Amino acid sequence: MEALDLIQKIVIVLVCLYLSWRIIRYLWSFVDVEKDPLIVLVTGAAGQIGYALLPMIARGAMLGRDQPVIIHMLDIEPNAETLIGVKMELMDGAFPLLKGVIATTDVIEACKGVDVAIMLGGFPHRKDDNKDLIFSNVAIYKAQASALEQHADPDCKVLVVANPANTNALILKEYAPSIPEENITSLTRLDHNRALNQIAEKLNVNVGDVKNIIIWGNHSSNLYPDANHATVNTGVGHESVKELIDDDHWLNTNFITNVQTRGQTIVKARRLSCASSAAISVCDHMRDWILGTPTGTWVSMGVYSDGSYGIQPGLIYSFPVTCEKGEWSIVQGLKIDEFARGKMDALQRELIEEKRVAYSYPH
Amino acid sequence: MGLCDGQIGYALVPMIARGIMLGTDQPVILHMLDIPPAAEALNGVKMELVDAAFPLLKGVVATTDAVEACTGVNVAVMVGGFPRKEGMERKDVMSKNVSIYKSQASALEKHAAANCKVLVVANPANTNALILKEFAPSIPEKNITCLTRLDHNRALGQISEKLNVQVSDVKNVIIWGNHSSTQYPDVTHATVTTPAGEKRVPELVNDDEWLKSGFISTVQQRGAAIIKARKLSSALSAASSACDHIRDWVCGTPEGTWVSMGVYSDGSYNVPAGLIYSFPVTCRNGEWTIVQGLSIDEFSRKKLDLTAEELTEEKALAYSCLT
Repeated sequence: MEALDLIQKIVIVLVCLYLSWRIIRYLWSFVDVEKDPLIVLVTGAAGQIGYALLPMIARGAMLGRDQPVIIHMLDIEPNAETLIGVKMELMDGAFPLLKGVIATTDVIEACKGVDVAIMLGGFPHRKDDNKDLIFSNVAIYKAQASALEQHADPDCKVLVVANPANTNALILKEYAPSIPEENITSLTRLDHNRALNQIAEKLNVNVGDVKNIIIWGNHSSNLYPDANHATVNTGVGHESVKELIDDDHWLNTNFITNVQTRGQTIVKARRLSCASSAAISVCDHMRDWILGTPTGTWVSMGVYSDGSYGIQPGLIYSFPVTCEKGEWSIVQGLKIDEFARGKMDALQRELIEEKRVAYSYPH
Repeated sequence: MGLCDGQIGYALVPMIARGIMLGTDQPVILHMLDIPPAAEALNGVKMELVDAAFPLLKGVVATTDAVEACTGVNVAVMVGGFPRKEGMERKDVMSKNVSIYKSQASALEKHAAANCKVLVVANPANTNALILKEFAPSIPEKNITCLTRLDHNRALGQISEKLNVQVSDVKNVIIWGNHSSTQYPDVTHATVTTPAGEKRVPELVNDDEWLKSGFISTVQQRGAAIIKARKLSSALSAASSACDHIRDWVCGTPEGTWVSMGVYSDGSYNVPAGLIYSFPVTCRNGEWTIVQGLSIDEFSRKKLDLTAEELTEEKALAYSCLT
């Protein structure tokens, strides 16, 4: 009898504990626990891409609609007043997610505590001497690397946009050795999105139904958009883009040049750079990196090469990647045909040459 | 759609395509309209929009034909108008805008969807909206509004800075009247959400002198301050507030919160009927309602009347351009 009594008592106590636990959880769900804000740095923030990008960040398009942000805007002294104007506008936006804005020309203040860094700032492209362009940017990226390494969050994720993006990212990596190499990336998502759209237009489907294009290599005029593994969601399944288009010649010529020259086509029409689509692809790159890519989908990112696909380690090279839990991994095992191989190797040579030029910069 | 002002339009279209204006579950088709000299640039914007691979964007039309642009439109954002240039008289600016809005009214009335909601942004916004209403009589008058949400958001920002609180904790400011230098940002009924409950802004600020002078002129002149700093107009914040205006109108205002919209006045608060005047409104089921019964002190009364006078004068000027 005593044993039965005891068991009864234990059961009652357990049931009470369980019910209390449920009640507490229910009440807790009403408490709106806001996430801690993430600090986002945008360099070159006074420019056109910055102007398009900043409201997107403030609205949660980059890090999610439940993620508060603090924005650090950095630019050079001549743009200080413009930067203040942009800060005023961000405040006037009354964005609920925006918990603070700093507008500064001081790279150290800008880099303090930064969790995400978007490097838009760099020496603008001139038509001639590539070497000069690389040199001018080496100085900038060397200084910024230093500041980031010393003042940013140790797990800071970096996206370099300013051209030559891949090589600027490499310089950043070289001069910020304590930033994990997997945290430094360059943008090829804009070309990736453009390629998706070219396929969508060719097949007359919705761009949201096309996926798994690859941008290999360098974000330069020789970039290689590869549709060999791309698919279209036809409603009844995923079909190979290559088979649906059934025109390898187009895929190996016009398709490639369309994507390569899209930027120029837009600049010619607008007489201004493609700030909007660039900003959008920056958000896409970061969002997928941090929040993860959808199952069965990969994206293109310029990342530190590890020897995959026969590409020399130690370059920032654009690969197909999936992302999970804030980390990217190169999609392995994709078949590479002869044509693709040629393109990928040419891009590797281009990047090796850019690296050589950058390293020849007098210290 | 709307004559793309270039800057505001460029900032606005990705926001619309992302679902910021109508909700993240609402697919959209964008009709972009501009004048023939801007046709190529418009096409460039279209190219960028499709390159962005927005899941919600189901189509983009870039055109210089007002009829094509207006066909089937459910929401119209009128960003385009004739900007004031140096040396131009007010009457000249008014005259140009009157003829633009007269012809757009026609196109909208004939080709847009029956319940089309219109937001006029281009200045003089209130009077452009009034012209639109006059020449599109079959568009319900409650469907024609003008933007004062930018000033409303700016006022919220100023209060949040003054009190050093988050802007999302400040609400219920009011922008009365004309989106011009006579606009009256009124915080008499504004509140701040604190851990200890909602507190009234005038009490927390405790500086009536500032609220009646510095605060008002800062909000009134914010646009000019931004132009001085950026050397360009405040496209980013204008576009953002246009999204806020439409979103709250279509999806409803949060409980206990009102916003400012330029709407067809019905005589509320002794404002002459038949003007497009900015009032505090709540929105529900796609319709706005003026918040009634707010007390108006003597200082506010003068301000409300001053901006009403200006609007009456603008209306007379606009009509004189038509004859």
